[in-house]
Amino acid sequence: MGYAAARGGLKAIEAAERLVARERALGDSSWLESKQMIEKLRLAVDRVMGEGGLWDEHLAASALRQAEGDPIEAAHLLRSYRSTLPRLAYTTPVDVDDLVVLRRIVPAFRNPPGPQLLGRTTDYTSRLLDTADETAQRTAAEKMAAFLDESASATNDFGDDSDRHGDRRPRRLLDLLRDLDAVVDRRRVDDPEPFDITRHPARPPASRSARLATMARAETGALVNVWYRNILGPDGYLHEITLGEVRHGRLPVTVVHPLTGDEISIGEVRVTEVEAIEDLNGIDEDRGRFDVGYGLCFGHNEKKAIAMANLDIACERDRGRSFLEQSILLTTDGLDASGFLEHLKLPHYVTFRSMMERKAAIRQHQERS
Amino acid sequence: MNTPLLQQVIDRSTTVDDSPLSDLDVNFGLLDEYSKREIRRAILTAVAVPGYQVPFGSREMPVARGWGSGGLQISLAVVGPDDVVKVIDQGDDEGVNAVNLRRLIVSSTGIPESTTPEDSTLIQTRHRIPEDPLDERHTLILQVPVPEPLRGVERDMRELARMHAEADYARMWVSLYEDKVRNGVITRTTGYPCLVNGRYVIATTPIPRWDVPRLHQSRFLSLFGAGREKRIYAVPPHTDVEPLTFEDVPFEVEITPGAKCRSCGSSESFLVEVPATADEGGGHWVCSDSDWCRRNRHRQHPSNGVNP
Repeated sequence: MGYAAARGGLKAIEAAERLVARERALGDSSWLESKQMIEKLRLAVDRVMGEGGLWDEHLAASALRQAEGDPIEAAHLLRSYRSTLPRLAYTTPVDVDDLVVLRRIVPAFRNPPGPQLLGRTTDYTSRLLDTADETAQRTAAEKMAAFLDESASATNDFGDDSDRHGDRRPRRLLDLLRDLDAVVDRRRVDDPEPFDITRHPARPPASRSARLATMARAETGALVNVWYRNILGPDGYLHEITLGEVRHGRLPVTVVHPLTGDEISIGEVRVTEVEAIEDLNGIDEDRGRFDVGYGLCFGHNEKKAIAMANLDIACERDRGRSFLEQSILLTTDGLDASGFLEHLKLPHYVTFRSMMERKAAIRQHQERS
Repeated sequence: MNTPLLQQVIDRSTTVDDSPLSDLDVNFGLLDEYSKREIRRAILTAVAVPGYQVPFGSREMPVARGWGSGGLQISLAVVGPDDVVKVIDQGDDEGVNAVNLRRLIVSSTGIPESTTPEDSTLIQTRHRIPEDPLDERHTLILQVPVPEPLRGVERDMRELARMHAEADYARMWVSLYEDKVRNGVITRTTGYPCLVNGRYVIATTPIPRWDVPRLHQSRFLSLFGAGREKRIYAVPPHTDVEPLTFEDVPFEVEITPGAKCRSCGSSESFLVEVPATADEGGGHWVCSDSDWCRRNRHRQHPSNGVNP
């Protein structure tokens, strides 16, 4: 009887799994293709890759489908998949100046060096819910495509007549600010190995690379929230930065060939990169200059990269005086937070029994005295 | 298990199959060999420094953080082909999360499972120590939600590290004293803070106080895994585990006078309450260790058709 009863739990679990699998794969609609998600739910797929810490659009799309659209769950699937894989090689350090931009804006200057390239964005579009049916939307999109082709033949993608390739790798604003001697120089020359958050737990006090890696993989909403709490007050008061660079583009990835020793390209990843200019005003700071925070994450995710850049410089300036670094390192991981939250659904009757017993003990003491 | 467990852990921590090709296959115990080696090394450190929280590069597991991912990593790192695994949640082998974890361990290793400690070598548990006596053959693997016993008195992790390093537990003592003064009793419920080997204070997971004396000078090895917080700690066999309390304030376990299990009649096991309801009337108590209760029932009434 005991043995059969022990299988009862298994049967319930398997029934729940079947229920999920059936509805996910069948239902009245057609199969949700990975390609469809990569093209049309691009930002969701990008977010899963970023929070999953794994660049693979097809795996991320599969994870998103399996997770029924829950990005944290999908990131979990990607990360636990990665846990089963050995680490075979490391990429060579990437030079972010090799980024070929798909979008680039510089809010700090009206006419920065290089283009202001809006690219694929809804930033300046009215948020009006489009309820038109598929035919109407496709027809409208075809008209827009024709317009895009026309204007592309007249100029180039930037909408101006600048040199195509040169402007896809524009000089960054920071270079200009350095030329003007307007920023403090915190660049290190000792080139320490970056902290690997997948192999070591990052705890305060941590290196900058540990903080940056943690934020690059953080849950987007969590990171935005840490930023907002620190802007608005309850956790601290940090400056709103001025954005120097917001870039989205393709970055080549290379490894050293194990036999020939040559560097070979193994593909490219899309990243969002942000440089945030900070106004130094501390008594012990160089108040005649600016400082710069940095953010970079997988995929197109500007919210995350901006929050990251602002928190990076805030942490640098805070120098361990507040809980900011601990907040960033310990509270922004989506898997950690949501997993722990959801564990509350597990049975807790042993702990609750213990709590009931102590409540009775306190009441008994109160009655006696 | 013929080789003593500690020896096995040592053996497995110093050998790793370096051939990359073998790693591309489905791994015994799910994790890749490098990850297992790292976890075994953390376990060895934990055993060598009883009660010290060893940081490790906790992997993301196919179970959510907070759902036994730390215990699971330990189980999968120490499990060998000769092991037999038992998994319980709240003392119950049939709890759905226990079933899920057991299924993962068994399906990725092919080892047999059991509900009886007598037949098991690895016991992964959430919040209970089985009622049966455990010995050298057993490794108890406890799932830990919050490994830091001092978080209630200090939030800054840098300061926490200092307090442990200097064995500065003064504020913990003060908080226990204040608790006693304000409430008349010490109100800590589960996960009672204990001093291990006279050196480190640990959080005894949320096992009930009932189970805490079982850790003291135990014959078995206890490994504590906190996956989310990336910490492993251990209570080796024959190690002192003393609940923090005062000379004139005895440590109290959960006892309700007169309570006994409705199924097996025991008043000497950890009981959980089934509360009274308006529909069904009076409440009663049952053992939280369901497998022990089943066997105890059989011992009391061998003829009632229940198989041991």
